[in-house]
Amino acid sequence: MHKPAFSILGLFDSAQALMDAIPIVKCGMPAATIETYTPYPIHGIEKVLGRRRSPIAGMVLVMGVIGALAGLGFELWTSGWDYPLTTFGKPPWSWQAFVPIMFEVTVLFACFTAGLGMLFLLNRLPMFRHPMLRSKSMPHITRDKFALAVEAEGQPVDVDAITAVLKGVGAISVEVIEQPAPSGPISPNFVLRAFGAIVVSCAVAAGLTYWAIKLFPVSAPMSHMLDQPRLDPQREEGFFKDDFGMRLPVAGTVARGYLPYTIKNQDDAASLTNPLPGTASVMQQGRQLFNTYCSPCHGLLGNGQPTLTAAYGAKPANLVSQTIRDYPDGKIYHTIMAGKNAMPGYPAELTQDERWAVVHYVRALQRSQNAKDLDIPKEIK
Amino acid sequence: MNAKGTRILETGTVVGLLGIVTTLVVFGRERFWVNWVVWLLFVLTAGLGCFFIVALEHLVGARWSVPLRRVPERLSSLVIVMAPAVLLGLLSLPHLYPWTKPESLQDPVVAGKAVWLNIPFFAVRAVLCVGLWLIAYRILVSGSFRQDREKDPRFNVRARRFSPVFMVIFALTITVLAFDWISSLEPTWYSDIFGVYLFAGTFLAGLSATTLALVYLMNRGKLQEVTPDHVYSLGGFLFAFTVFWSYIAFAQYLLMWYANLPEEVVWYQERLQGMWGPLVLILALFHFFLPFFILIPRDAKSDPKRLCVVAVLMLVSHWLDLYWMIFPAVGKSPLFGWPELSFALLFICGGLLWVRHAMTFGADMPVGDPLLQEGLEFHL
Repeated sequence: MHKPAFSILGLFDSAQALMDAIPIVKCGMPAATIETYTPYPIHGIEKVLGRRRSPIAGMVLVMGVIGALAGLGFELWTSGWDYPLTTFGKPPWSWQAFVPIMFEVTVLFACFTAGLGMLFLLNRLPMFRHPMLRSKSMPHITRDKFALAVEAEGQPVDVDAITAVLKGVGAISVEVIEQPAPSGPISPNFVLRAFGAIVVSCAVAAGLTYWAIKLFPVSAPMSHMLDQPRLDPQREEGFFKDDFGMRLPVAGTVARGYLPYTIKNQDDAASLTNPLPGTASVMQQGRQLFNTYCSPCHGLLGNGQPTLTAAYGAKPANLVSQTIRDYPDGKIYHTIMAGKNAMPGYPAELTQDERWAVVHYVRALQRSQNAKDLDIPKEIK
Repeated sequence: MNAKGTRILETGTVVGLLGIVTTLVVFGRERFWVNWVVWLLFVLTAGLGCFFIVALEHLVGARWSVPLRRVPERLSSLVIVMAPAVLLGLLSLPHLYPWTKPESLQDPVVAGKAVWLNIPFFAVRAVLCVGLWLIAYRILVSGSFRQDREKDPRFNVRARRFSPVFMVIFALTITVLAFDWISSLEPTWYSDIFGVYLFAGTFLAGLSATTLALVYLMNRGKLQEVTPDHVYSLGGFLFAFTVFWSYIAFAQYLLMWYANLPEEVVWYQERLQGMWGPLVLILALFHFFLPFFILIPRDAKSDPKRLCVVAVLMLVSHWLDLYWMIFPAVGKSPLFGWPELSFALLFICGGLLWVRHAMTFGADMPVGDPLLQEGLEFHL
């Protein structure tokens, strides 16, 4: 009585002998599972064995097409849509520039599918302890002999009959390979070892990371933009003859939004008129700017009584007083521009239009605190 | 091929011959010579491609292609047939090539190339190319025919020693062919890869012609010993080099497109605007996409029918490729009319008549070659 057989292996001298034997064995034992082991791939053997065409070609084609589309999509997304960059003066959606990436991604996807798909999906690797590996014929099979195996895989078969058939079709030797004791791939031992391996790898990785971070000199990340030659504001630079990094405007020109202001004193400024209409939006802008820049000293109501006064030490003007109310718009404007007594000017903080908006708002503050009967709306009178 | 086919081909040749004469009289010399150059290069490169296949086999010592070798050997006689056409083509120089005109030398670029681009040196190069091809033909192809009778194995040694020399000759002459006959039509243009580009088309044309002739012979009951494995190997070559051609073609385009230098992009500018644009799409479709996807399945590479479809597509697109490269030098938009038709008739019908005649040269297989048996036993 034999042990249960995994397969009965017949060895042949040549590929042709093997190919000739297959149909006869198949004919004699239609129900048997037949497998062959050869030192090199034999073209056409899958037809003789009656195997279905491997799906690998279709998989590679599909993944290649997906790779091409993925490459194109990623390029379109990054370069064309998410962060459109004009390089070399080309439009961001330049398909020509995407083709090399598409090509590479296609090849990458196709190769990985072919290699990894064959190994892991179709051949179901890793597979340890395959019964065939115990065969005494294995050195021959990897070298100069061709094996035909009738696979029983533990099912009861008539070993002697199969041996006779294999001998009958010209096998030079026949070997019965035992079915190994059933042991699933996930035994307690395996789990323990896998867990131990994971813990050890984590520890090693952590140690290496610590060592790498602590001991390797930290090089600056890409700093080309900092290193490039450029002009810094307020710095001496050798690029221009006068060694100034910052430039004065070209003679006779005016920077956009910076009209020259030539008025020297308040009396001359009296002739200026407010160019802005007193619309709601201008008033709103004026209020916001007044609250930001003027109210710390002049108070939110413009009456010269803010909380800051005591600490500040000076006595800011009461903007709603009769004196200021009698000022023409131009004088208030000039004060904002050039300052007065302890007050500095605000030419850098406020643009021309913003200054006039503040003038509007100061007028509104003055009127609100010296309201006439006329100013009260009819419906609440 | 039956007598009816012969009559059709002969009629076509005669009509084509009359047609090109009327072209010369009615349409003028420029139109005549531009067609001449296109068709000259088309037939010549098909022959040279076959020549390259023969030399490649000797160079690498391939066994599988020995039973098929007679087909490209017979087809490479097209190079010899076209030799007079090359020399006759020298007459086209004053009518087609701008650098022959004295006023073109005012352009500093053309003046800089004058050392290379002048009529005497051009003619010397053309004659030298033809001469080298003739010598190579005598050694590689005539020697093989002689081996059929003499069964002299020393031919294989000679061929193996000569084939590296031929490769150098081939590389130089195909580059000269590309630079002289095609790219000098626009003498201010530069492209270093142009010779390789023409080589890619040449090899594909040679493979296609070989495939068609092989299937023609097999359909006539010859070459019975040729197995699907042999055909598969030929189909694999065809498949691989569709990608090679597209790679080179696109590489040339991409670099010029990126650099955007005026002296380079103008060539593509002329060849992409107007009706040339759709033509380029057809070229890409016929020269790459259709053959590539037809030949992807494994069975297709050993199926004579599908291989023939691809081979015909390849030859059509190789002609289209040459047309697209050469014609924009004389016309802003694609010209197609009686001159083009008559040239096509003459060269296709005349060429087919010659090929059919050439298919009787020597034995169907190199029967004197000691490697033949090994080639017949070839398995994938």
